[in-house]
Amino acid sequence: MTRRRSGGSAQAILETALVIPLMLLLISNFLALMVQVSVQEQMDSAVSLAAESRFQAPEAAHDSSGARCCPDPRCCNRASDASSLNTSGLPTGCRFAAETFYGTMPFERFLIWHPAPLCLTGGDSGASGQARTGVPYRDSPRDSHLSCVIGSTDPNGTVHRGFLDHALNPPFGLYVVTCDATATLDFSRTPLAWGVFWSPTIHAHAEAVPPPFRQ
Amino acid sequence: MEGDERVRRCRRRTRAQATLEFAFAAPLFLLCFFATIDAALWAVQSSAVVSAVEEGARVAASAASTPAGQRAPSAQEVTAGVVGQLKSALFATSVRTWTAACPAAPGDVEAVFGPRVVAVCVHENAPPPCTTPPRGVPAPYPLYCADSPTVSVRVVGFIASLVPPAFGLGWHGGEIPVDDGATTHTLRFAP
Repeated sequence: MTRRRSGGSAQAILETALVIPLMLLLISNFLALMVQVSVQEQMDSAVSLAAESRFQAPEAAHDSSGARCCPDPRCCNRASDASSLNTSGLPTGCRFAAETFYGTMPFERFLIWHPAPLCLTGGDSGASGQARTGVPYRDSPRDSHLSCVIGSTDPNGTVHRGFLDHALNPPFGLYVVTCDATATLDFSRTPLAWGVFWSPTIHAHAEAVPPPFRQ
Repeated sequence: MEGDERVRRCRRRTRAQATLEFAFAAPLFLLCFFATIDAALWAVQSSAVVSAVEEGARVAASAASTPAGQRAPSAQEVTAGVVGQLKSALFATSVRTWTAACPAAPGDVEAVFGPRVVAVCVHENAPPPCTTPPRGVPAPYPLYCADSPTVSVRVVGFIASLVPPAFGLGWHGGEIPVDDGATTHTLRFAP
Protein backbone atom coordinates (compact mmCIF):
# COMPACT_ATOMS: atom_id res chain seq x y z
CA MET A 1 0.00 0.00 0.00
CA THR A 2 2.78 2.43 1.07
CA ARG A 3 4.87 1.50 -1.96
CA ARG A 4 1.85 2.13 -4.23
CA ARG A 5 1.29 5.56 -2.60
CA SER A 6 4.93 6.64 -2.96
CA GLY A 7 4.81 5.47 -6.58
CA GLY A 8 1.75 7.69 -7.12
CA SER A 9 3.39 10.82 -5.67
CA ALA A 10 6.56 10.21 -7.69
CA GLN A 11 4.41 10.08 -10.81
CA ALA A 12 2.68 13.35 -9.82
CA ILE A 13 6.05 15.08 -9.27
CA LEU A 14 7.29 13.81 -12.63
CA GLU A 15 4.13 15.04 -14.39
CA THR A 16 4.46 18.46 -12.74
CA ALA A 17 8.15 18.66 -13.64
CA LEU A 18 7.25 17.98 -17.27
CA VAL A 19 4.15 20.14 -17.54
CA ILE A 20 5.28 23.33 -15.76
CA PRO A 21 8.35 24.13 -17.95
CA LEU A 22 6.29 23.35 -21.05
CA MET A 23 3.54 25.70 -19.88
CA LEU A 24 6.05 28.46 -19.07
CA LEU A 25 7.64 27.96 -22.49
CA LEU A 26 4.26 28.37 -24.16
CA ILE A 27 3.43 31.48 -22.11
CA SER A 28 6.83 33.13 -22.87
CA ASN A 29 6.45 32.51 -26.59
CA PHE A 30 2.90 33.84 -26.51
CA LEU A 31 4.14 37.00 -24.76
CA ALA A 32 7.00 37.31 -27.28
CA LEU A 33 4.50 37.12 -30.12
CA MET A 34 2.43 39.88 -28.49
CA VAL A 35 5.52 42.05 -28.12
CA GLN A 36 6.32 41.48 -31.80
CA VAL A 37 2.81 42.48 -32.89
CA SER A 38 2.92 45.56 -30.65
CA VAL A 39 6.32 46.72 -32.00
CA GLN A 40 5.15 46.12 -35.57
CA GLU A 41 2.10 48.33 -34.96
CA GLN A 42 4.17 51.12 -33.43
CA MET A 43 6.71 50.95 -36.24
CA ASP A 44 3.96 51.05 -38.91
CA SER A 45 2.45 54.08 -37.20
CA ALA A 46 5.79 55.93 -36.85
CA VAL A 47 6.83 55.24 -40.46
CA SER A 48 3.45 56.27 -41.80
CA LEU A 49 3.45 59.60 -39.91
CA ALA A 50 7.07 60.17 -40.99
CA ALA A 51 6.21 59.78 -44.68
CA GLU A 52 3.27 62.19 -44.34
CA SER A 53 5.26 64.82 -42.44
CA ARG A 54 7.48 65.39 -45.48
CA PHE A 55 4.63 67.46 -46.89
CA GLN A 56 4.71 69.85 -43.91
CA ALA A 57 7.95 71.27 -45.37
CA PRO A 58 8.01 73.31 -48.60
CA GLU A 59 9.13 71.43 -51.75
CA ALA A 60 12.20 73.60 -52.29
CA ALA A 61 13.25 74.07 -48.65
CA HIS A 62 16.73 72.75 -47.83
CA ASP A 63 18.51 72.62 -44.50
CA SER A 64 21.29 75.14 -44.03
CA SER A 65 24.74 74.28 -42.77
CA GLY A 66 24.80 72.91 -39.22
CA ALA A 67 21.25 71.53 -39.24
CA ARG A 68 20.83 68.23 -37.47
CA CYS A 69 18.04 65.89 -36.62
CA CYS A 70 18.18 64.63 -33.10
CA PRO A 71 16.59 61.33 -32.15
CA ASP A 72 14.25 63.40 -30.00
CA PRO A 73 12.95 66.45 -31.91
CA ARG A 74 12.65 68.43 -28.69
CA CYS A 75 16.46 68.53 -28.46
CA CYS A 76 17.09 69.52 -32.06
CA ASN A 77 18.40 72.93 -31.15
CA ARG A 78 21.37 71.22 -29.54
CA ALA A 79 23.75 70.63 -32.44
CA SER A 80 26.27 68.97 -30.15
CA ASP A 81 24.18 65.82 -29.71
CA ALA A 82 26.55 63.04 -30.79
CA SER A 83 23.79 60.71 -31.89
CA SER A 84 22.08 63.27 -34.11
CA LEU A 85 21.99 63.00 -37.89
CA ASN A 86 23.59 65.74 -39.98
CA THR A 87 20.98 67.02 -42.43
CA SER A 88 22.89 70.02 -43.85
CA GLY A 89 22.08 70.45 -47.53
CA LEU A 90 19.29 67.88 -47.51
CA PRO A 91 15.63 68.64 -48.23
CA THR A 92 13.98 69.88 -45.02
CA GLY A 93 11.32 67.21 -45.59
CA CYS A 94 13.95 64.54 -44.82
CA ARG A 95 14.59 66.07 -41.40
CA PHE A 96 10.87 66.44 -40.75
CA ALA A 97 10.34 62.76 -41.58
CA ALA A 98 13.21 61.71 -39.31
CA GLU A 99 12.06 63.95 -36.46
CA THR A 100 8.56 62.50 -36.68
CA PHE A 101 9.89 58.95 -36.72
CA TYR A 102 12.23 59.45 -33.78
CA GLY A 103 9.56 61.34 -31.86
CA THR A 104 6.98 58.59 -32.32
CA MET A 105 8.81 55.26 -32.23
CA PRO A 106 9.65 54.04 -28.72
CA PHE A 107 13.27 52.87 -28.75
CA GLU A 108 13.46 49.69 -26.72
CA ARG A 109 16.83 48.13 -25.98
CA PHE A 110 15.78 44.79 -27.49
CA LEU A 111 15.48 46.35 -30.95
CA ILE A 112 18.52 46.06 -33.21
CA TRP A 113 18.06 48.57 -36.00
CA HIS A 114 19.29 48.09 -39.55
CA PRO A 115 21.01 51.36 -40.51
CA ALA A 116 20.22 52.85 -43.92
CA PRO A 117 20.63 56.18 -45.76
CA LEU A 118 18.19 58.74 -44.38
CA CYS A 119 17.31 60.48 -47.62
CA LEU A 120 17.07 59.03 -51.12
CA THR A 121 15.83 60.19 -54.49
CA GLY A 122 14.38 58.32 -57.44
CA GLY A 123 13.25 54.73 -57.56
CA ASP A 124 10.41 53.22 -59.45
CA SER A 125 7.79 50.58 -58.74
CA GLY A 126 8.34 49.40 -62.35
CA ALA A 127 5.60 49.26 -64.94
CA SER A 128 6.40 45.60 -65.62
CA GLY A 129 7.37 44.60 -62.10
CA GLN A 130 11.02 45.67 -62.52
CA ALA A 131 11.31 47.77 -59.38
CA ARG A 132 14.29 50.13 -58.92
CA THR A 133 15.49 51.42 -55.57
CA GLY A 134 16.33 55.06 -54.92
CA VAL A 135 19.79 56.61 -54.79
CA PRO A 136 20.98 58.36 -51.58
CA TYR A 137 21.40 62.14 -51.68
CA ARG A 138 25.08 63.07 -51.74
CA ASP A 139 25.13 64.43 -48.18
CA SER A 140 22.70 61.95 -46.66
CA PRO A 141 23.74 60.29 -43.39
CA ARG A 142 24.01 56.50 -43.83
CA ASP A 143 23.28 55.34 -40.31
CA SER A 144 19.66 56.35 -39.89
CA HIS A 145 16.97 54.01 -38.57
CA LEU A 146 14.56 55.46 -41.11
CA SER A 147 15.07 55.63 -44.84
CA CYS A 148 12.86 57.79 -47.07
CA VAL A 149 12.63 58.48 -50.79
CA ILE A 150 11.81 62.19 -51.00
CA GLY A 151 11.56 64.43 -54.03
CA SER A 152 12.76 68.04 -53.91
CA THR A 153 14.01 70.95 -55.93
CA ASP A 154 17.45 72.08 -54.78
CA PRO A 155 18.63 75.74 -54.62
CA ASN A 156 20.24 75.41 -58.10
CA GLY A 157 16.87 74.45 -59.57
CA THR A 158 17.75 70.77 -60.05
CA VAL A 159 14.71 68.57 -59.59
CA HIS A 160 15.18 65.37 -57.58
CA ARG A 161 12.29 63.04 -58.16
CA GLY A 162 10.45 61.07 -55.49
CA PHE A 163 9.47 57.42 -55.89
CA LEU A 164 7.40 56.79 -59.02
CA ASP A 165 4.52 54.47 -58.18
CA HIS A 166 2.97 53.04 -61.34
CA ALA A 167 0.05 51.54 -59.46
CA LEU A 168 -1.27 55.06 -58.88
CA ASN A 169 -2.52 57.22 -61.75
CA PRO A 170 -1.84 54.60 -64.49
CA PRO A 171 -0.16 54.49 -66.93
CA PHE A 172 1.97 57.53 -66.01
CA GLY A 173 2.33 56.82 -62.31
CA LEU A 174 2.55 59.30 -59.44
CA TYR A 175 5.57 60.56 -57.52
CA VAL A 176 5.12 59.65 -53.88
CA VAL A 177 7.15 59.66 -50.67
CA THR A 178 8.10 56.25 -49.33
CA CYS A 179 9.66 55.50 -45.97
CA ASP A 180 11.05 52.23 -44.61
CA ALA A 181 12.44 51.02 -41.31
CA THR A 182 13.79 47.60 -40.36
CA ALA A 183 14.74 46.18 -36.97
CA THR A 184 15.42 42.79 -35.42
CA LEU A 185 13.79 41.92 -32.14
CA ASP A 186 16.48 40.43 -29.92
CA PHE A 187 14.63 38.58 -27.18
CA SER A 188 17.95 37.56 -25.60
CA ARG A 189 18.01 41.08 -24.12
CA THR A 190 14.69 40.53 -22.37
CA PRO A 191 13.56 38.39 -19.42
CA LEU A 192 11.95 36.09 -22.02
CA ALA A 193 15.41 35.02 -23.23
CA TRP A 194 15.30 31.67 -21.39
CA GLY A 195 12.41 30.34 -23.46
CA VAL A 196 12.23 32.34 -26.70
CA PHE A 197 14.77 31.24 -29.26
CA TRP A 198 13.68 33.23 -32.31
CA SER A 199 14.66 36.75 -33.33
CA PRO A 200 12.20 38.03 -35.90
CA THR A 201 13.09 40.88 -38.24
CA ILE A 202 10.28 43.36 -38.62
CA HIS A 203 9.91 45.85 -41.41
CA ALA A 204 7.59 48.80 -41.87
CA HIS A 205 6.90 50.52 -45.17
CA ALA A 206 4.68 53.53 -45.80
CA GLU A 207 3.80 55.50 -48.86
CA ALA A 208 2.41 59.04 -48.73
CA VAL A 209 0.65 60.67 -51.66
CA PRO A 210 1.14 64.43 -51.99
CA PRO A 211 -1.85 66.45 -50.77
CA PRO A 212 -3.98 67.99 -53.57
CA PHE A 213 -2.23 71.38 -53.44
CA ARG A 214 1.10 69.63 -54.14
CA GLN A 215 -0.01 67.41 -57.04
CA MET B 1 -15.56 -7.09 7.37
CA GLU B 2 -12.01 -5.82 7.61
CA GLY B 3 -11.76 -5.82 3.83
CA ASP B 4 -14.88 -3.59 3.49
CA GLU B 5 -13.46 -1.08 5.95
CA ARG B 6 -10.20 -0.93 3.95
CA VAL B 7 -12.10 -0.28 0.70
CA ARG B 8 -14.17 2.50 2.34
CA ARG B 9 -11.00 4.14 3.70
CA CYS B 10 -9.36 3.91 0.31
CA ARG B 11 -12.40 5.53 -1.36
CA ARG B 12 -12.47 8.33 1.25
CA ARG B 13 -8.77 9.01 0.64
CA THR B 14 -9.30 9.13 -3.12
CA ARG B 15 -12.18 11.62 -2.70
CA ALA B 16 -10.06 13.80 -0.37
CA GLN B 17 -7.22 13.76 -2.86
CA ALA B 18 -9.57 14.77 -5.68
CA THR B 19 -10.93 17.65 -3.60
CA LEU B 20 -7.40 18.82 -2.77
CA GLU B 21 -6.32 18.62 -6.41
CA PHE B 22 -9.42 20.55 -7.46
CA ALA B 23 -8.75 23.23 -4.79
CA PHE B 24 -5.27 23.69 -6.25
CA ALA B 25 -6.19 23.42 -9.90
CA ALA B 26 -9.37 25.53 -10.01
CA PRO B 27 -7.81 28.88 -8.97
CA LEU B 28 -4.84 28.23 -11.25
CA PHE B 29 -7.16 27.39 -14.11
CA LEU B 30 -9.27 30.50 -13.49
CA LEU B 31 -6.14 32.67 -13.27
CA CYS B 32 -4.87 31.30 -16.61
CA PHE B 33 -8.33 31.66 -18.15
CA PHE B 34 -8.70 35.31 -17.13
CA ALA B 35 -5.06 36.05 -17.98
CA THR B 36 -5.68 34.75 -21.51
CA ILE B 37 -8.76 36.95 -21.88
CA ASP B 38 -6.79 39.83 -20.39
CA ALA B 39 -3.93 39.33 -22.83
CA ALA B 40 -6.37 39.40 -25.73
CA LEU B 41 -8.04 42.54 -24.34
CA TRP B 42 -4.64 44.17 -23.80
CA ALA B 43 -3.73 43.45 -27.43
CA VAL B 44 -6.96 45.06 -28.65
CA GLN B 45 -6.61 48.03 -26.29
CA SER B 46 -2.95 48.75 -27.01
CA SER B 47 -3.63 48.50 -30.73
CA ALA B 48 -6.47 51.00 -30.33
CA VAL B 49 -4.21 53.34 -28.38
CA VAL B 50 -1.49 53.24 -31.08
CA SER B 51 -4.10 53.95 -33.80
CA ALA B 52 -5.67 56.72 -31.71
CA VAL B 53 -2.30 58.39 -31.13
CA GLU B 54 -1.57 58.22 -34.87
CA GLU B 55 -4.98 59.67 -35.73
CA GLY B 56 -4.62 62.28 -32.99
CA ALA B 57 -1.26 63.37 -34.42
CA ARG B 58 -2.89 63.76 -37.86
CA VAL B 59 -5.75 65.83 -36.40
CA ALA B 60 -3.30 67.99 -34.43
CA ALA B 61 -0.95 68.42 -37.39
CA SER B 62 -3.73 69.63 -39.65
CA ALA B 63 -5.43 71.83 -37.03
CA ALA B 64 -4.12 74.94 -38.74
CA SER B 65 -4.11 73.62 -42.28
CA THR B 66 -6.24 76.36 -43.77
CA PRO B 67 -4.86 79.79 -44.63
CA ALA B 68 -7.24 81.20 -42.01
CA GLY B 69 -6.14 78.87 -39.22
CA GLN B 70 -2.94 79.91 -37.47
CA ARG B 71 -3.74 78.70 -34.00
CA ALA B 72 -2.21 75.82 -32.10
CA PRO B 73 -4.21 72.56 -32.00
CA SER B 74 -6.46 72.24 -28.99
CA ALA B 75 -6.46 69.16 -26.77
CA GLN B 76 -10.29 69.14 -26.79
CA GLU B 77 -10.42 68.90 -30.60
CA VAL B 78 -7.83 66.13 -30.69
CA THR B 79 -9.63 64.22 -27.93
CA ALA B 80 -12.92 64.61 -29.78
CA GLY B 81 -11.21 63.25 -32.90
CA VAL B 82 -10.00 60.07 -31.24
CA VAL B 83 -12.44 59.46 -28.40
CA GLY B 84 -14.85 57.39 -30.53
CA GLN B 85 -12.03 55.12 -31.65
CA LEU B 86 -10.73 54.71 -28.10
CA LYS B 87 -14.07 54.31 -26.33
CA SER B 88 -15.15 51.43 -28.54
CA ALA B 89 -11.95 49.52 -27.73
CA LEU B 90 -11.16 50.41 -24.11
CA PHE B 91 -13.28 48.28 -21.84
CA ALA B 92 -14.24 49.85 -18.48
CA THR B 93 -11.83 52.72 -19.04
CA SER B 94 -12.81 56.35 -19.57
CA VAL B 95 -11.08 58.88 -21.81
CA ARG B 96 -10.44 62.46 -20.65
CA THR B 97 -8.78 65.55 -22.04
CA TRP B 98 -5.61 66.72 -20.31
CA THR B 99 -5.41 70.48 -20.74
CA ALA B 100 -2.29 71.36 -18.71
CA ALA B 101 1.31 70.41 -19.61
CA CYS B 102 1.50 66.69 -20.44
CA PRO B 103 1.74 64.38 -17.41
CA ALA B 104 5.14 62.84 -16.69
CA ALA B 105 3.80 59.36 -15.93
CA PRO B 106 0.52 57.38 -15.91
CA GLY B 107 0.39 57.85 -12.13
CA ASP B 108 -0.17 61.60 -12.60
CA VAL B 109 -3.35 60.90 -14.56
CA GLU B 110 -4.59 58.55 -11.85
CA ALA B 111 -3.85 61.16 -9.18
CA VAL B 112 -6.11 63.66 -10.96
CA PHE B 113 -8.87 61.56 -12.53
CA GLY B 114 -8.83 58.36 -10.44
CA PRO B 115 -8.34 54.75 -11.58
CA ARG B 116 -8.90 53.36 -15.07
CA VAL B 117 -8.69 56.65 -16.94
CA VAL B 118 -6.56 57.52 -19.96
CA ALA B 119 -5.91 61.15 -20.79
CA VAL B 120 -5.23 62.66 -24.21
CA CYS B 121 -2.71 65.49 -24.09
CA VAL B 122 -1.43 67.77 -26.83
CA HIS B 123 1.69 69.89 -26.67
CA GLU B 124 2.93 72.25 -29.37
CA ASN B 125 6.57 73.21 -29.57
CA ALA B 126 7.18 76.41 -31.57
CA PRO B 127 10.50 77.04 -33.32
CA PRO B 128 12.63 80.03 -32.32
CA PRO B 129 11.51 83.30 -33.94
CA CYS B 130 13.48 84.40 -37.02
CA THR B 131 15.72 87.46 -36.67
CA THR B 132 17.98 89.41 -39.04
CA PRO B 133 21.08 87.26 -39.59
CA PRO B 134 24.52 88.66 -38.78
CA ARG B 135 26.65 89.62 -41.79
CA GLY B 136 27.82 86.59 -43.76
CA VAL B 137 25.28 84.22 -42.19
CA PRO B 138 22.58 82.99 -44.57
CA ALA B 139 18.88 83.43 -43.74
CA PRO B 140 16.79 81.99 -42.16
CA TYR B 141 18.46 82.79 -38.84
CA PRO B 142 18.68 81.25 -36.26
CA LEU B 143 18.72 77.65 -37.43
CA TYR B 144 15.26 75.97 -37.60
CA CYS B 145 13.39 79.30 -37.24
CA ALA B 146 11.55 78.70 -40.53
CA ASP B 147 10.34 75.25 -39.43
CA SER B 148 6.68 74.61 -38.79
CA PRO B 149 6.01 73.88 -35.08
CA THR B 150 6.11 70.30 -33.84
CA VAL B 151 3.10 68.87 -32.08
CA SER B 152 3.14 65.93 -29.66
CA VAL B 153 0.07 63.87 -28.87
CA ARG B 154 0.14 61.43 -25.97
CA VAL B 155 -2.37 58.94 -24.61
CA VAL B 156 -1.36 58.19 -21.04
CA GLY B 157 -3.00 56.57 -18.01
CA PHE B 158 -4.18 53.17 -16.84
CA ILE B 159 -6.44 50.78 -18.74
CA ALA B 160 -8.62 48.22 -16.97
CA SER B 161 -7.45 44.65 -16.58
CA LEU B 162 -9.15 41.48 -15.33
CA VAL B 163 -6.24 39.91 -13.46
CA PRO B 164 -4.71 41.92 -10.63
CA PRO B 165 -1.89 42.88 -10.54
CA ALA B 166 -1.94 42.60 -14.34
CA PHE B 167 1.34 41.41 -15.87
CA GLY B 168 3.85 42.77 -13.44
CA LEU B 169 4.49 43.46 -9.80
CA GLY B 170 4.25 47.05 -8.67
CA TRP B 171 1.42 47.88 -11.01
CA HIS B 172 -1.94 48.80 -9.59
CA GLY B 173 -4.36 45.91 -9.15
CA GLY B 174 -6.81 45.65 -12.04
CA GLU B 175 -4.96 48.14 -14.22
CA ILE B 176 -2.26 48.18 -16.87
CA PRO B 177 -0.28 51.38 -17.49
CA VAL B 178 -0.32 52.84 -20.99
CA ASP B 179 1.85 55.65 -22.32
CA ASP B 180 2.00 56.13 -26.06
CA GLY B 181 2.89 59.25 -27.99
CA ALA B 182 3.61 60.68 -31.42
CA THR B 183 5.41 63.84 -32.48
CA THR B 184 5.10 65.37 -35.91
CA HIS B 185 5.35 68.72 -37.67
CA THR B 186 2.21 70.75 -38.13
CA LEU B 187 1.05 72.07 -41.45
CA ARG B 188 1.06 75.86 -41.40
CA PHE B 189 0.37 78.37 -44.12
CA ALA B 190 2.39 81.57 -44.07
CA PRO B 191 0.46 84.28 -42.18
